[in-house]
Amino acid sequence: MKILLIEDQLELSNNIREFLESEGIVCESCDNCFDAQDRLLVYPYDCIILDIMLPDGNGLDLIDFIKKNQDSSNILIISAKNSLQDKLDGLDLGADDYMTKPFHLAELHARLKVLYRRNQLGGSDKLIFNEIQVNPENLEVTVNQNLLDLTKKEFDLLVFFLTNKNRVLGRQAIVQHLWGDYTDDLANFDFVYQHIKNLRKKICLAGGTDYIETVYGIGYKFNTAKE
Amino acid sequence: MKLINQFTIWYLGISVIVFLIGGILIFYKLESEIDFEQGRELERHLDRYARKMESMDNPSSLSKERLEIKELPSDQALIPFQLGDTLAWHQPLEQVERQVKAGRSYLINGKHYYMSMYDIMVESDDITETVVQTMVAIFLLLLIFIAVTSRLVSKKILQPFHSSLTKIREFTFKENQPLVFEPSRIEEFEKLHEFLNRMSERMLGDYKIVKEFSENLSHEIQTPIAITSGKLELLLNSPITDQQARWIAAAYQSTQKMSKIVNSLATLAKLENQEFEGNQLVDLSGLLKNSIAGYEELVVIKNIALHHHIEPGIKIEMHPHMAEMLIENLLSNAIKHNEKPGYIKIEATPNHLTFRNKGKTPKANVTEYLDRFKKGNPNSESIGLGLSIVQQICRIHGFILDYQFIKEEHRVSIQLQN
Repeated sequence: MKILLIEDQLELSNNIREFLESEGIVCESCDNCFDAQDRLLVYPYDCIILDIMLPDGNGLDLIDFIKKNQDSSNILIISAKNSLQDKLDGLDLGADDYMTKPFHLAELHARLKVLYRRNQLGGSDKLIFNEIQVNPENLEVTVNQNLLDLTKKEFDLLVFFLTNKNRVLGRQAIVQHLWGDYTDDLANFDFVYQHIKNLRKKICLAGGTDYIETVYGIGYKFNTAKE
Repeated sequence: MKLINQFTIWYLGISVIVFLIGGILIFYKLESEIDFEQGRELERHLDRYARKMESMDNPSSLSKERLEIKELPSDQALIPFQLGDTLAWHQPLEQVERQVKAGRSYLINGKHYYMSMYDIMVESDDITETVVQTMVAIFLLLLIFIAVTSRLVSKKILQPFHSSLTKIREFTFKENQPLVFEPSRIEEFEKLHEFLNRMSERMLGDYKIVKEFSENLSHEIQTPIAITSGKLELLLNSPITDQQARWIAAAYQSTQKMSKIVNSLATLAKLENQEFEGNQLVDLSGLLKNSIAGYEELVVIKNIALHHHIEPGIKIEMHPHMAEMLIENLLSNAIKHNEKPGYIKIEATPNHLTFRNKGKTPKANVTEYLDRFKKGNPNSESIGLGLSIVQQICRIHGFILDYQFIKEEHRVSIQLQN
């Protein structure tokens, strides 16, 4: 998976690049519209992460250019403006997703993967890790060929973990991923804990390894090294 | 009281004083004039009699009712004309009346006579009556005239004032147009217009600054927060000790909270600046049910009993996004500040929206929670802006918000229709 990151804040750009590269994603970056157009004309990308406010123009104006030159790539807007209008405008112009700064890098990664699976692989791609198989198309999860009966939230949670393996996922990142921005305030270990407890139980009952471990006081981690 | 009435009353008050003084002046002037003329008349009579006496042998015989002739010693000096009044019998009226009396002495055929005459006086009562009647008549005329004309004239004179008022009333920040008035010939209006024009320009300028500030603040701060939290997230996944991980996680949480505060403040500023335009008929019942469904899971996990009684088809004229914010804030508040064994009761009618939930007894007066950053538990995750946002939304739409704590129950009720 190859992405182009168009973001003028160098440090933010570094954060994203470092995170994504450690996940094996090829990440190129540039900090203005002009350079972005240069690259877009030459190289193909699977996904473009686009900041709205750029030094030499509005990121929204780039969407048209991207659509003309890279019709198969997805566009994910990242903006500091929590403006409903910008969001609607962006999605109207053809962007696939919109995230407001600040965001969890794990969340950005998860959304990129969703876009990638949906558009590039036609949603047919299965997420497979050892004995766990996740089929995003029909929301089916099997562990050792045993079908798991998961709720929507548990399914989302598992996908989130599988996308961000071996990473500490803070409870806030999990809450935001599952419930969106509104419920952020209500972040409470109780309900994250409930869902994770159920998910672990269901995987274990199906004979799977309990990969999900608690990182005390912070959140959870899908530890692939667990036997 | 209307300005014109005020003017009229003052004007009439002054007129009363002027009429009083004028009346007194006229009275004295009239009286002295009458006396003077009467004296002159009597003098002429006396002169005539004196001439008549020159050709008579016995001048005293001329003496009659109103004429008195006295002979004086011839060596006495002549008495000049003098005027006085006296009380005398008045034949026609058959009573003693105050009469005017004129007298002087004449040398007639070498003899010295003093002759005096009196005549009925014009009574001051009569003069007073005349003066008062005239004055009152004039005053009444004035009254009627002013009452009628002032209304007509004031309409014309105050017309620019009223059109200015309309313009001021229609002034909004959204249009970003300073107040401009039609030129007026009246100096006071011109001054007022100039002042209002300058004031509106300044207000628009200030408004723009505040608006830009809140907009900039919001997104300018989000970027560094995003950088910080990104770094912390990377750090969290680097080889570190547990202790370090907890420190990082705490810092990470704070950046999230900071971002939330800025967001909420920006929302509040937007609400205060009335930037949400485009009211629609919002299906409140549907919105409530959707929100409740969205929070259902949370409610179950938190072991809260949620009861609701929502009348179907409640439609309310408001901005859809604000309606959503209102309900989300109320609902998440009720969940957040619940106490075990908790319950939430939601009631919605076309006129009222009430959220009740069990909760801790507040330390302070509950209405203080409507203020920004006031919260019951200083360590709670909440940032303390939810109810401020609710209050602001209510204010914009003219809803009446009431927040009470009764018997372990928080009760937020909103009167939707006025």
